Amino acid sequence: MAEGKDPLRYFRIEARELIDQISAGVLDLDQRAGPEPVAKLLRFAHTLKGAARVVRQKDIADRAHAFEEVLVPHRTGEAPLAAEEMRELLRLNDEIAAYVSLMEQPPAPASTPAPAPPPSPSPPPPPSPSPAPEPEPAPAPAPEHLETATQRASTQDLDELLDAIGETNTRMAPLRAGCATVERLHRSAESLVDQLRLDRGTASGTARAAAARLAGDLGSAARRFTDAVDQIERELDDVRARAEGLRLVPVGSVFTTLRRAVRDAADAEGRRVRFVAQGGGIRMGAHLLGPVSGAFLHVVRNSVVHGIEPEDVRLAAGKPAEGTVSVEVERRGRFAVFRCSDDGRGFDLDALRRTAEARGLLPPGAPPPDVDALLRLVLQGGISTSPSVTEVAGRGIGMDAVREVGAQLQGEVRVRSTPGHGATVELIIPLALLAMTGLIVEAGGTVATLPLDAVRACVRLGGDEAVAAAASGRLVHEDAAAPFLPLAEVLYAGSTVPDSPGVGAAVVVNGPDGVFAIGVDRLAGTSALVARPLPELAPASPVIGSVAVDADGTPRLVLDPAGLAEEVLRSHHGARPMVAAAAEPLPILVVDDSLTTRMLERSILESAGYEVDLAASGEEGLEKARSGRYGLFLTDIDMPGIDGFTFVERTRADPQLAGVPAILVSSRASAADRDRGRAVGASAYVVKGEFDQEQLLDHIRRLVVRS
Amino acid sequence: MTRPETVAERVTRLRDDFDRSFAEPARVFDDENIELLAVRAGDRPYAIRLAQASGVHPERPVTALPTTVGALLGVAGYAGVVVPVYDLAALLGHPIPQRPRWLLLTAGAPPLTLAFHELERHLRVPATDVIAGTVDSAGRHGCLHGMVRLADGNRPIVDVPATRELVHQLAGHRPVSEESR
Repeated sequence: MAEGKDPLRYFRIEARELIDQISAGVLDLDQRAGPEPVAKLLRFAHTLKGAARVVRQKDIADRAHAFEEVLVPHRTGEAPLAAEEMRELLRLNDEIAAYVSLMEQPPAPASTPAPAPPPSPSPPPPPSPSPAPEPEPAPAPAPEHLETATQRASTQDLDELLDAIGETNTRMAPLRAGCATVERLHRSAESLVDQLRLDRGTASGTARAAAARLAGDLGSAARRFTDAVDQIERELDDVRARAEGLRLVPVGSVFTTLRRAVRDAADAEGRRVRFVAQGGGIRMGAHLLGPVSGAFLHVVRNSVVHGIEPEDVRLAAGKPAEGTVSVEVERRGRFAVFRCSDDGRGFDLDALRRTAEARGLLPPGAPPPDVDALLRLVLQGGISTSPSVTEVAGRGIGMDAVREVGAQLQGEVRVRSTPGHGATVELIIPLALLAMTGLIVEAGGTVATLPLDAVRACVRLGGDEAVAAAASGRLVHEDAAAPFLPLAEVLYAGSTVPDSPGVGAAVVVNGPDGVFAIGVDRLAGTSALVARPLPELAPASPVIGSVAVDADGTPRLVLDPAGLAEEVLRSHHGARPMVAAAAEPLPILVVDDSLTTRMLERSILESAGYEVDLAASGEEGLEKARSGRYGLFLTDIDMPGIDGFTFVERTRADPQLAGVPAILVSSRASAADRDRGRAVGASAYVVKGEFDQEQLLDHIRRLVVRS
Repeated sequence: MTRPETVAERVTRLRDDFDRSFAEPARVFDDENIELLAVRAGDRPYAIRLAQASGVHPERPVTALPTTVGALLGVAGYAGVVVPVYDLAALLGHPIPQRPRWLLLTAGAPPLTLAFHELERHLRVPATDVIAGTVDSAGRHGCLHGMVRLADGNRPIVDVPATRELVHQLAGHRPVSEESR
């Protein structure tokens, strides 16, 4: 359909992709010369030239050709390109990019069915590579790119896809009804079997058997049918959420622009700067990424201009000649953090203070402001640390831009600076739409979702374990007693929890200050979803972070790990140690006369993360036990002098040591020995012959005393 | 002169009427009549002006939300938009344990749904049957504006904008910045 109307549809997409690769490739080449990046660039340029010729985009084809011409002599040989050649490549790159952008501007398909003649754009003014008098040359046509026609077109495709998925989902309704029917037939057949059994006199044995077979077949058919429908529904749900996720743009798509800005600024300032980017895979709405990348263009330029020192200064300060500007993006719960750090000189605090005084921003006679107060002034705008207003970094324009974007997106800006070591600017914005994989849990009849990346483990809980965990508010997981709370208590705070099967599993979650666990009735699989903020008029407990919409259009709650952590810890009234991770196990004392056993046990325990102390005899063991603090004694039985039984007995008799559990490890396997071990007070008895590392570690995890 | 309408003509007329009923937007036809929904919320009869609603939906799944606002039942999905659902009876100060079955999507922003227990009928009454003034003996916060005189007795009219105002107050206790951390 659409390709008939718009012959350039796929070229636009391909050209955009190639131009992105070429832009990145040029910058790669700039940092690392060699035949390999040259070959890669030639490949891209050649592909672009070919594609442009096919759709008769002569302007683009010609420039791609010129681009190739520059590169061809450098196919072999490691020598870097001459500065003018590099500049020429960047110029051609920008021109091609400008053509492609222009092509993307008219809203995609024309309504006329006849193929429109390929638009021949008049050459746009190529961005000047040499310093221009404008205060903001902004060579990279960055943020606008994010909402180009191509993007709009693919958004439209996605919307159609989502509609189609919705449609398919409604078609599932008859199938669901079918499942119910088969289930009903199964029940009827079962009751028929029962009746035939009761009317023993009238019905023949064959009829009874046939009815029983029928009931059996219907039963298994109903099960299979229901399972299949459930499966399809889950998968459809997954497909839908993934399609929704595609509407979001990967952060990495703006890195090239930032990198180019760094390169251009470094060029203008005569600095050598390396650009490092991290977190490009995170996806977010283009409406967020656009403004952020616009503001970060200023920030990275500022880092180069104000931060990175000239080479000689850097070398004198013992820093590498090449400066580094790094941009990292990470997701923190419902927030995205954009961070730009450099290893330059940091903010010039004296200059800041002078400017602030000169502008009357500091009350006269007031005590000199501290670093934080000065940095806050930077955020308030109107102050630049550069002694002159250069073309790349105007007066504090950068910080103004970040501050504005922060305000506009309801985010927060933070600035840190260490004189001589560099500065960091951080922008934290709340994410409206967020693609994530969720773990679906059920608790007290409510279905909720937990971001899977916060989940550390899922543990099945037996009835007794669940009761014990709920009573103690603790769940032992990986050598730590994690604070535990049944999720139903959190979700129904203040009201009665409805009848439910009870806690059957625990989810161990990474909280902001350590690990905690929540009890759920059931784990119901994972699913891809797009989380959005709660609606305005729905104030909810902080345990709810956001809400997602499932395939039926029903909202599904998404739990916030940080909010949950607070709730779980609050239920502990702060009386117990706040965070599990803080409770480190005390060292373990191994008492054994055999060097091999001592070493073996030590290696097992150390690789499980315990600190280990050794004693070669019962006497040495007692001495060490009394002089140190231990979390557990692991002792052999047969030793010259004081044997293991005696060792355990004596430590039990000592009030200082009675609290430290003891485990006996022996080659004696008889019941009498086990009984004796129990009698003297050993907490566990492990037989060397059937030595099972895991079993031993299980005992230790359960018993070890923590600091 | 007046010949009886043929079957074909009658069919055509009916078809046209039928088609027109879809083509024309639903609206209040005149100033003399007022369109109302007769509803029951928490076992009491009320009327709601149709012009203040943008949709009525039965049996839509409501996802319960842990919250401190008692009247907030949870959230429901409307064409991909998540909308809070408030119990009208609770807002009017007389909640009952039964979950309300009907959801009324209100006009205005931000999106808001009011839930009530029974939808009795749709009414068009002469404007003269509606008595203006705040009749607020039972309701609180002035959510009831006026009464409608009906054969089976008078019904207080729930004023949707005033009810929305109350919801804003209830929901506004927690500033946004606090909830985001």
